[in-house]
Amino acid sequence: MRRPSIRSLAGGAAGIAAGVIGGISLTSLSAAGEPALGSRIGVEGSHLPPALTLPGEPVRLRYAIVCRPHDDGEPCDGSGEVYVRAGQSGSFKRLALTRGADSRDGRYFVDLPSAIAGSEQGFSYYAVLRDDSTGATVTVPSGGPAAPQRSLPLRPATQIDLGLHSFGRTREPDVRPVTAPWGSGVGQAGLAGSRELGFVGPSAFDVVAGQVTLLDQVNRRVERWARGRVEPVPVSVTGGIADVAVEPDGSLDVLEPPDRLTAAPVLRSFRPGGSLRWSQHLADRTWAKLVVGPHGPVVQQQPSEQWRPVAENGRSLGRAAQAARGVMGRPLMNGLALVVERRGAAEIRIAEIVGNAVVRGWRIAGATPLGEVQLAEPLGNRIVLVAKTYSEDRSEDIVLVLDRTGIVQTFSVDPHEWAESAPLARFRLDGSSLYQLGSAPSGAFVDRFDLEVQR
Amino acid sequence: MKAFLLAFGVGLLLAGASGAQAYHRFWARCNYDAPTFMTTMTRDAGQDYSNAARYEGYQWGGGCWNYDDVDSYPYDPPGDASTHGEGGDCSGLTFKTWRESTDQWRDGRYYWRALRNVHGPYTAGGFKSGQGAPNHTVNKSTAGVMDAFASETHIGMVFFRSLYGGDQIVEAKCEACGTNIFYRTYRSDPSYGGVGRWGWTG
Repeated sequence: MRRPSIRSLAGGAAGIAAGVIGGISLTSLSAAGEPALGSRIGVEGSHLPPALTLPGEPVRLRYAIVCRPHDDGEPCDGSGEVYVRAGQSGSFKRLALTRGADSRDGRYFVDLPSAIAGSEQGFSYYAVLRDDSTGATVTVPSGGPAAPQRSLPLRPATQIDLGLHSFGRTREPDVRPVTAPWGSGVGQAGLAGSRELGFVGPSAFDVVAGQVTLLDQVNRRVERWARGRVEPVPVSVTGGIADVAVEPDGSLDVLEPPDRLTAAPVLRSFRPGGSLRWSQHLADRTWAKLVVGPHGPVVQQQPSEQWRPVAENGRSLGRAAQAARGVMGRPLMNGLALVVERRGAAEIRIAEIVGNAVVRGWRIAGATPLGEVQLAEPLGNRIVLVAKTYSEDRSEDIVLVLDRTGIVQTFSVDPHEWAESAPLARFRLDGSSLYQLGSAPSGAFVDRFDLEVQR
Repeated sequence: MKAFLLAFGVGLLLAGASGAQAYHRFWARCNYDAPTFMTTMTRDAGQDYSNAARYEGYQWGGGCWNYDDVDSYPYDPPGDASTHGEGGDCSGLTFKTWRESTDQWRDGRYYWRALRNVHGPYTAGGFKSGQGAPNHTVNKSTAGVMDAFASETHIGMVFFRSLYGGDQIVEAKCEACGTNIFYRTYRSDPSYGGVGRWGWTG
C-alpha cells in the first residue's frame, strides 16, 4: 500500500469538510420548502344539540364552522343551512344560518320557529356547513337525513332540586375488591408519565357478574379480578388513554384515542383470551364513552354527539354505516334508550325513551355546578345517575337513584383521581352494586358501593 | 482530486448521519419571522388555528409545525426539549393560538404562523395562575370556546362543549398522543383551573 502524500491527505480532509457542509446545506434547503398541505384538515363543524327541551322553551341552534387557518389570521368565511322538521319523520325545511358577531358558543345560528321548537313530537335536523373560500362542505351529523339530530320534549318530567352541595360528607365504600400497587407484576397496575408531565394509570375498567376487568394499558394487558384472584391477559393496545367494555361472551372491546401515528380513534375487539378479532376506525374524530348495547359496542362520539354502533352481532361496521345508525339515546339491553343532556352550569336532563317517545323524564338542577355525567343506567325500574359536582378547587361524584317520584337514594363519593384515566370510565354498574375506579400515590383500586335493593 | 471527490462523498454520507443533524431536525425548517400585529382576534379563528395543528405532533418546549398532517418526528423521547421535533407542547400551542407576545407585559395580539418557531414565556402552571398581561383566570363553569383549563403540568383549550358535560379539548397532550381534540373532564377536576385570554374581538 502506498504511503499517502500530504497533498492527498489535505485533499481528503477538504473533501470531507465540503461534503458535510454541502450535505447539511442541501438537507436544509430541501426542507425549507413548504410541504404539501395534508388532506385531513378540511372544513368541520361543532354543535351542541338541545336534546331535551321544555315546553315553551325557545330553541337557537348554534354551530361553529372550522376551516384551514387563513394567512391573514381572520376566521373562516363560512355559511350554511339547517334542514329541520317538526317531529321525527317527513320532509325537512331549509333554514339559512345567520353569521353572528360572537363565536363563543358557535358563530352561526338559527332560531327555530315555535311551531317546530314546540312540536309535541319534538324535532329533528341536520346542518350543511360551508367554507365559502373553498366551497367545501360538511354535514353535521355526518349521517345527514338518515340519522339526524333528534330533540324530544321533556314531558313528563320529575323536577329535582339538589340545592347547594355540601362537600366533605362522602360515603365510604362497602368493599374494595381490587387493590393494585403501581408496577408491572401480576396484580399490579402500570403507571406512566412523570411529575412534570402528569401521571396516567389504568384508564378504564368493566364489571360483569362481580368479575372486575381492569384495562392496564401501560402494561399492554387487562387483569381480571374475581374472589381475590387475578388473571393477566396480554392485549395488543397502543398504551393511550382508552375505554374498555366486556361483552356477554367475554370478548373485550378497547376504544383507543388517535395518536401520533393514527389519525382516527380505533375500537379493537379481542377474544376472551386476548387475541385480536378485528379493529375498526370510528366515524367521528373524538369519543366520550364506550358501552355494550343490545347488539354490540356503542360509542358516544363528537362532533355528532350521537351514540353510534361500531359493530353489530360480532361484525364491525364501516364508518358510513356507523354514521347512518347514529342516535341520541344510549341503547339499553331492555330495548329502551336513555337520553342525557347536561345543560348550562348546573342542570342535567334525562329521559328514558322508547322509539322517539319519552316514557319518563327528570330535570335535575343544583346551586353548585354540575360537571360530566359519568354514568346513567337502569336498575330495575329505577335509574342510577353518577355526576360530578365541583367548585373551583373541589369536586365530588354525586350518586342518585331515581324513580318517578324523585330521588330514592343519594350519596356522594370522593373522586380519587390521582392518576388520569379515560374521561367517562370511572364508574360501572353491575347488578345492584356501583363500582368506582380510583387511584392514589400507592396504586390503583376499585371500590364497590352496594345500592339499596329494590322492592 | 480523486481523494477530494472520494472524501466529499464520505462527507455527504456523514452529513446524513443522525449525529450531524441532531440539532438540525424539524427546527431546520422553521423560521424566526416577526409576528404580525393584529387588531382582531376571534375565538373561531383560534379554533381554525389550533385545529390545523392536529396530527402535527408534540415537542416538549416546542412551537413549530407545518400543515402536512404528519408528525415528522413521532418517536422522540418524552420530556426532552433538545430533540427539536415537530409540534408545540401544551403551553406553546396555547401561546400561539392566543396570539400572545414573548414580552409578558404586552397584551396586544401577535399572529405567529405555524412555521414560526416560538414557545412563549409561559408554562402550564404560569397560565393556571393567570401570569402575564394578556391572561387571566376564569370561573370553570363559565369557560367557553377557546378558554382553557390548566394544571401545574398541562393546559388544553376548549374546542367545544359537549352533551354529557365534558369538553372537547384541543391540546398538545404528550409525545405519543400528539396534538388533537380529545374528550376531557378538566372542567370538574380540582387540579385544573379556568384560564382566559383578554382581548377577543368576536
